Amino acid sequence: MKRKADPQLVFLVSINVLVLVVATAISRGAFIDPFNLQSMGAQMPELGLLAIGVMLAMISGNGGIDLSGIALANLCGVCAALVVPHLVSAEESPWLFTGAFTLACLVTGLLGGLLNGVLVARLGLTPILCTLGTQMLFTGICVVISDGVAVRVGEAEPLLSLGSALPLGVPLPFVVFCIACLLIGAALRFSPFGIRLFLLGTNPKAARYAGLPLQRILVTTYGLCGAIAGLAGVLIASRAVNVKWDYGQSYLLIAILIAVMAGVRPAGGYGRMSCLFFSATALQLLSSTFNFANASNFLRDCAWGLLLLVFLATTRFDFRTLLSPARPGAAG
Amino acid sequence: MIRTPLSLAAAVLLAGAAGGLAAQDKPFMATVVKISGIPWFNRMEVGVKEFAAATPTVTATQSGPSTADAAQQNRIIEDLVARKVATLAVVPMDPPVIEGTLKRAMDRGIIVVTHEADNQKNTMADIEAFDNSAYGTALNERLASCMGKQGKWTSFVGSLGSRTHLQWVDAGAANAKKYPGMQLVDPKNESFDDANKVYEKAKELLRKHPDLKGFQTSAGNDVIGVGRAIEEAGLQGKVCLVGTGLPNPSAKLLDSGAITAIGFWDPKDAGLAMNKVAKMLLEKKQLTDGMDLGVKGYEKVSMKKGPGTGVLMVGNAMVIADKASYKNYLF
Repeated sequence: MKRKADPQLVFLVSINVLVLVVATAISRGAFIDPFNLQSMGAQMPELGLLAIGVMLAMISGNGGIDLSGIALANLCGVCAALVVPHLVSAEESPWLFTGAFTLACLVTGLLGGLLNGVLVARLGLTPILCTLGTQMLFTGICVVISDGVAVRVGEAEPLLSLGSALPLGVPLPFVVFCIACLLIGAALRFSPFGIRLFLLGTNPKAARYAGLPLQRILVTTYGLCGAIAGLAGVLIASRAVNVKWDYGQSYLLIAILIAVMAGVRPAGGYGRMSCLFFSATALQLLSSTFNFANASNFLRDCAWGLLLLVFLATTRFDFRTLLSPARPGAAG
Repeated sequence: MIRTPLSLAAAVLLAGAAGGLAAQDKPFMATVVKISGIPWFNRMEVGVKEFAAATPTVTATQSGPSTADAAQQNRIIEDLVARKVATLAVVPMDPPVIEGTLKRAMDRGIIVVTHEADNQKNTMADIEAFDNSAYGTALNERLASCMGKQGKWTSFVGSLGSRTHLQWVDAGAANAKKYPGMQLVDPKNESFDDANKVYEKAKELLRKHPDLKGFQTSAGNDVIGVGRAIEEAGLQGKVCLVGTGLPNPSAKLLDSGAITAIGFWDPKDAGLAMNKVAKMLLEKKQLTDGMDLGVKGYEKVSMKKGPGTGVLMVGNAMVIADKASYKNYLF
């Protein structure tokens, strides 16, 4: 099968390689130490999952975006950490506890996501304002039910190892992230839901006249975003061992940056999971390079903002038409 | 060409990162604080730099997240652990969040020292500036000497849930019992660290007790609010006010006499002390009870077992500064 390689994908992969090579060279090999690779692999998934949520909302078009991701993830973790210990004992049945914890997170996430979906689809609220509102709502509920302090997650071995285990040397959170990428990527590409979502994002008017169930697609999309945030909540809880309302407040911008860097069109209708994956890894590599280099964290914030603007500006061009003639050898 | 701006951005980022990524042959001693760029931790960085200048055999720097976010602090620590620094001195934003990371650091052979985290389990030594009841007693003693050891006094806490604040005012009240002339009225008012709320409450208390002679306050903004109430009532020098506060924001009220004295600990010395202890552990020196860290206020630290495997070291680094002495600590 001869297909043209996606220039965005080629570009992201080369950025990954470039950063990896440069950081390794300057750190005299310390950067590709297995420990550092594992550490980065374990750090990335919670952000990567939130970025998937942002991507799905963006694909749905009409200004779709999900700003409530990290707030919902924290709410999921806090709800599960408060409720599950009353039902299942972490010491006596650790596996059941882990299952119940995960389920509670996913269900809370799904409900939160469905709320977003209903507000956007049924009431026609602008997604950016609607999810900004629900973000504050989720954070508020989280503060109230936890009294604003950190809630300890029960000491169940399987749950803790979810955040720290290294089967075959690969961090488990990274495995979870890869599986989520594969499943959602496949759903976007092959399932009727995915195809309809792209059509809706490309041209909502045409989709409406074609008789697509617009509201159902939107509610499903935001519900899926919520469930993914719930999964991120599980990973956060398993890695940090406690959950708090203000965890990862800086993740919002970074999740959006990952999605935009992956070439997801903010106007809707386009976004590839493989690009998102490499965009997330590229950002993690850069971020760790900054820490290896003792760069100021303000410089990093500045760099993220700059990257976001540069990529937003460049996505206004069509990569295919601009790059294909210039790179005839880029067929894969 | 579309690729140009993107590669340019990437190149700029990498160049920026590469600038600091010099080869490290000397042992690298990292200090990670809660937030970068606020006066408290800028002052701590002065201490870290002083340590680095005095110890040329190591490289010592301070870093911290740009926002008050435990997740970001954890990522910074994780990257430093991956980089295999020699020592980590951490002022945790939220101790439980980084337990796992600190454990991995110690498993990897990195020396871990913490500050302001007497509940941290995975640390080799947690260093506290002072014993909380000793601090409360010292504040009250200063208040008593200003009040001539008699008259009515009251106390403020940030909130009734704030453990250290309660320890301070309880120790203060215990100290005041030594002086039969001193009478504690309406104790433990909650301020919520809000200078305006404190101001209102202090005015109310001054109306209710016209013969009120003293205030002992706890949260950082309390001295500002109470000081303003005293100044507006023209009671400088007649009503005494001693409490926790920072030199720069309190400077004006200290000069006018509305604040008698402020108590705090100097983050510069804490930064020095953390790194000194880390250096000792790096050189496999034994930590002992009553040892001298060679830092002001930490000349005779008491040592006991901490909540985890490490030790808890408590100095006597409280500073009680008044009009005459606060200028030595401008931060």
